[in-house]
Amino acid sequence: MKPKRFPLFLGLMALIGLLSCGKEPVDEAGLLITGRSQCYMTFFDLLGSDHRTVLVSGQTVIDTTALTVTAVAKFGTNMERVKPYCSVVTDAIVEPTMGIWTDYTQAQKYTVVSGNRQVRKTYTVTVTVQK
Amino acid sequence: MKKIVYFVLPVLGTLLLNAGCQNKEVDPGATLKNDLLKKTTGPAVVGDRIEFAYAIGTLDGDLKDVRAEASITGGKGTGFSGFSWYTDRSTGVDKPVQTAADTVTNGAVSTATIIDVSKNKAVTLRYYYYPSEEGKGKDVSFRFSGTSSTGKEVAIQSPAYRISRMSMKRSLVLTDGAKAYVSLADMAVYSKAEVEQNNLASKIDFVYIYRPTLGSGNFAFGHALVAPSNADYLKDVSLPAGLPKTRTAIDKRVDVKDAQLRNTAGFDVYIDDVDLEQTTFPSAADYAYGLAVDQGAFVKTADGTYVAYVYVNAVNNTTKSMTISIKQIKLK
Repeated sequence: MKPKRFPLFLGLMALIGLLSCGKEPVDEAGLLITGRSQCYMTFFDLLGSDHRTVLVSGQTVIDTTALTVTAVAKFGTNMERVKPYCSVVTDAIVEPTMGIWTDYTQAQKYTVVSGNRQVRKTYTVTVTVQK
Repeated sequence: MKKIVYFVLPVLGTLLLNAGCQNKEVDPGATLKNDLLKKTTGPAVVGDRIEFAYAIGTLDGDLKDVRAEASITGGKGTGFSGFSWYTDRSTGVDKPVQTAADTVTNGAVSTATIIDVSKNKAVTLRYYYYPSEEGKGKDVSFRFSGTSSTGKEVAIQSPAYRISRMSMKRSLVLTDGAKAYVSLADMAVYSKAEVEQNNLASKIDFVYIYRPTLGSGNFAFGHALVAPSNADYLKDVSLPAGLPKTRTAIDKRVDVKDAQLRNTAGFDVYIDDVDLEQTTFPSAADYAYGLAVDQGAFVKTADGTYVAYVYVNAVNNTTKSMTISIKQIKLK
């Protein structure tokens, strides 16, 4: 490469670099909005005041067609104060936010929103306690 | 010229740095020196002690005696220990060696006399301070001093340490159907007969029960603390006459291993005043079940007067008993 062409080459590279830094869209929470349209829940858990799971192992069923989650809590669980957690498909988010103390004596509804924020599916989570 | 600047500037900088960092209080020529280390890391709670290591050494004459003056008179047991400690090189175990005698405490002043002065030119003595009830919520500080045979004296003033407002009680044994009624106000355990005879029913905050299983499906239950309001879990218990059905808030924890309640070395987690004062009980249960060793529960009395942490030291399924320790604070 001739010496005179070197600055030109550098300028070109800089221009390519700048163009490649296009601003990615983000939502109000600062989370990346992607092109993914998948929208489903993959895992659900409920923690007690001692930050240990209160769910009976193997009893949690997530129905991605009926959009329901059913689970069984251990005998004696104080359902007025439990903390839900879930996993969702890549890039999707959940509304309202999980991970806060919640009263689960009644069924709760959570909406899974796809990565492209175009698809919304509302799940009904019902937890019964062993009697 | 440039070479000279390159040489002079770093030297000058180093000299200035050293001059700036010098501690003016240290007299390198002093022949009698002392230093202080607070060994205890946890809160100063009545019922436990604060440990200091007071070091003193002389290059001139012999060490004579040491003295510690607390700004608030300590409880029983306050004073110097006659022993210094060294680490055995072969085993790594700390071993005591007596270096002082006549360890006396009069009021707020503790003294000790150094022995075997010919070989004990430098010693590190332990000073134990037991916070007293009168000191609760106040700041305490200490002035340590020592003298040598040449008549010189050296002293060091400690910072101020806040004495906790908490009360602590260790090793309360609960037994299902017997000593099962706990009062946080009294920090004591009573039997049904004691509650009735002494009219203590209004002071009872929770009841201890042990049921291996419970419910129609025989679900695991174990050792439990249950508030008088919970009729489900106390339906087979003959409660003391007049026991009000108060709803004590009970919030189970499995990861709060308080070192003082545990009363063993190797743990440095402590519940302090602020933890009890700021613990909230939103939608807390009126029971905690399945309690095991090292677990516990934050508890708030129905009237909100007392907040406590109840720690489980031991459980015994055969004798249907549980040993607990409590840290409690009065909020109102």
